[in-house]
Amino acid sequence: MKKLFLTAAALALWAGAARAEIKVVTASSDLKYICERVGGAEVKVESLSSGDQDLHMVEPRPSMVFKLKKADLLLRVGLDLDMWVDSLINAARNPRLFYGAAGYVDASAGMALLEKPEGKVDASMGDIHIYGNPHYWLDPANAKTMAKNILAGLKRAAPEKCAEFDANYAAFIKETDEKLAGWQQRMAPLKGLKVVTYHSSWPYFAARFGLDVAGHVEPKPGIPPSASHLDGLVKKMKAENVKVILTESYYPRKGPDFLAGKTGAAVVTAAVSAGGTKDVGTYFDVFERVITELEKAAEKK
Amino acid sequence: MRKIIVLALLSGVCGAALAQEAGTPPQGLRGTPANLPDISVIGVIEGHTSSNKADDTRDKLEFSEVETAFQGYIYPEMKADVFLALHKHGTEYESEICEAKVSFLRLADGLSAEVGKVNAEFGKLNKAHTHTRLMIDQPAVLTNFLGTHAFNPQGAALKYLLPLPFYAQAQAGAWNMAGHEHHVEGDNTAEVLDVDQSTVTVVLAPEETEDFSPAGKVYTARLNMSFPLGSGSELELGGSALKGKGSHWEHHEDNIKIAGADFTLKFWPDAYRRFTLQGEYMRLTREVPVGTLKRDGLYLFANYRASKYWNFGARFDYAENAFPAITYERDYALIATRNLTETTTLRAQYKHINLSGEKTDEGWVQLTFGLGPHSHDLE
Repeated sequence: MKKLFLTAAALALWAGAARAEIKVVTASSDLKYICERVGGAEVKVESLSSGDQDLHMVEPRPSMVFKLKKADLLLRVGLDLDMWVDSLINAARNPRLFYGAAGYVDASAGMALLEKPEGKVDASMGDIHIYGNPHYWLDPANAKTMAKNILAGLKRAAPEKCAEFDANYAAFIKETDEKLAGWQQRMAPLKGLKVVTYHSSWPYFAARFGLDVAGHVEPKPGIPPSASHLDGLVKKMKAENVKVILTESYYPRKGPDFLAGKTGAAVVTAAVSAGGTKDVGTYFDVFERVITELEKAAEKK
Repeated sequence: MRKIIVLALLSGVCGAALAQEAGTPPQGLRGTPANLPDISVIGVIEGHTSSNKADDTRDKLEFSEVETAFQGYIYPEMKADVFLALHKHGTEYESEICEAKVSFLRLADGLSAEVGKVNAEFGKLNKAHTHTRLMIDQPAVLTNFLGTHAFNPQGAALKYLLPLPFYAQAQAGAWNMAGHEHHVEGDNTAEVLDVDQSTVTVVLAPEETEDFSPAGKVYTARLNMSFPLGSGSELELGGSALKGKGSHWEHHEDNIKIAGADFTLKFWPDAYRRFTLQGEYMRLTREVPVGTLKRDGLYLFANYRASKYWNFGARFDYAENAFPAITYERDYALIATRNLTETTTLRAQYKHINLSGEKTDEGWVQLTFGLGPHSHDLE
C-alpha cells in the first residue's frame, strides 16, 4: 500500500512538473530557429523541412499530417514558396491551423517585398512567384518582421505568457540588430560587388548589403540553364568583370563550375537556411558563413 | 496609478501583437476582387505507337485530355473542387465530370467528408489524377478491375484520422456508379461467353475493350498508415475493400468484391533525389448465379528522381482480366520524365505487353502542361 502511495505521489509530482508546451510546426528551419528564440522554454518546435532542402520542392508526406494534427501553431513562409503546406493543413483537419485561425501564422505578413511582378504574369516568365520574391529571410533585418509575426501567433496561443514572449522577442531583436550592424560593417568594403547567382534567391541579401546581381545561372526562375544562356552569361561576366558566383547549396554545381572555368570567377556555395550545411546550425550562421565566403572570394579577386 | 498606466500600455502592445496580419492567401483562396475561384487548365498531348496494327490510336500525335478545374472555398472549412475533362476515346472527344465534390474539411476532431463525384480512395493510385501520376498509362490491374479511367463514382466518403501515435486514416464510402460512364451506345454490342458457357449480348462502351468496372451501389473502405523510417524515408501501408455490382449486372447478375493491399516506400537522400518503390495487389471476387470467379492483379513500380528535372521509372504489371474467360497479362514498362517547370512535363514510355502469349510493343510521348493555380488533396 505504501509503495502504491509513493508511486502515485511520484506520478503526481511528475505530472505537475510537466510543462504545457506550445506545439509549433514550421515550414522552414529558419522559422523554427526564430520561434525557439521568441518562444523560449514554452515551445516545442518541429520543422517540416530541413535546411538543405529546396523549399519549392518539399514533398508533403503523411507523417507531416500527423505533426500538424497535434500542433497549436503553424508557421509558414508564404508567398507561394511552401504551397505544399496547403494540402497538409486540409489533411490534418486541425481547427487551430486553418487559414485565418489563431494558430495559422504566415511569416511573410507585413514584409516589404522585392520583385513583385506587375501586369500579366505567366509561365513565359518561368516559375514566377505572383506575390513577389519569397526569399525574404535572406535579409537578416526581415527576421524582425518574421519574429513579430511569430510573437503575435505565440501570444494568441498562450496569452498568459505575453510577458515572457515579449522579453524573448526584445532579446532576439537586440541580437539581430547587433549582428546586422557587424555584418554591414564587414560587407561595406564589398559594396557594389558584382555577383551572378544561381536562382533569384538573393535579392533581399543583395539589397541589404549593396551587392550588384548581374545575372542568374537560371535563365528564368526554375528553368535549367541552356548552353546558349551560359554562353551569354560568360560574355556578360567578362564584359562586366563579374568575379563571384553565388549558389545555393542544393543546386547542381555544373553550371556555376562551367562559368567559373570560363571566367575565372570564384564559386561561393552557401546554405540558405539553418542546417543547410554542417557548419550552419542557426539562422544567424547562414549570414556568418556566406559573408565569410564572400570576403574570401573578394580577397582572391 | 503609475502601475495602471503601465499595465494599460502593456496590454495595448499585447493587443497590437495579437492582431493577425493577412499574409499570402493559400491555394483555393486566391479570390480576386471579383471573387473568382482558382481556375486552371491541364492539357495532355500524347503521341502513341504500337506494334498492334489494329490499334486505332497507333502512330498518332494528338490532344488526349483537357482538364479544367474550378477550386475554392464555399464556407469556412468547406471547399469545392470541380474538375471537368475532355478525353479522347478512340476517334471521339467526350466530355466528363472527372470530379465534382464538396469537402467538409472538419466535421469533428479528425473527421472530414467528401460528397459528390470523387476519385474514390481505393488503393494508392486510383485517387491520383492522370497528370499527377509518374506514368503515362495506368497499371493493367486498375484498368481491368476498376475501369479504363479512375473509379470515380457519385456518393460520399467519411475520413477519420485515428488517435494513434502515428499517421493512420480510416475511411468509408457509399457510392453509386453508372454501368458505363462514357455515353453507352445501345447499338454497340458484343456476344460474350458467360461462365455457364452460354452466350449473352452485352452493351459495350465505344472503346474496343469491354469495361467490367464496379457499378450500381458500391461501398468502399480503406485504412492507410504511414511510418517515418528516419528523416529521409517513409513507408506507407494501406488496405482497401470494395463491394458492388458488375457494370453489366442486368445481363450477368454479378456481385463483386475487391480487396487490395498497397505499399509505398520513399527515400530522399538529398534535396532533389528521391527513390520510390510502390506496389498494389488486388483480388477481385465475382459472384455469378452459377458460381464464383476469382481474379488477381498487381503492379510494382520503381521511380528514381535523379535531379530536379529528371526522373526514371520502371513498372511490372500482372493482371488477370475481370470477366469472363481468364486471360493473363504481363507488362513491362520503362518511363523517363523531364520536368520542364513545376507544372509542365515531357514524358516518354515504352511498354511490352504479353497478353496470354499475344505480344505487343507500345510507345508514348506525352507533354503535360498546366495553366493557372491547380491543386489536389494529399495523395
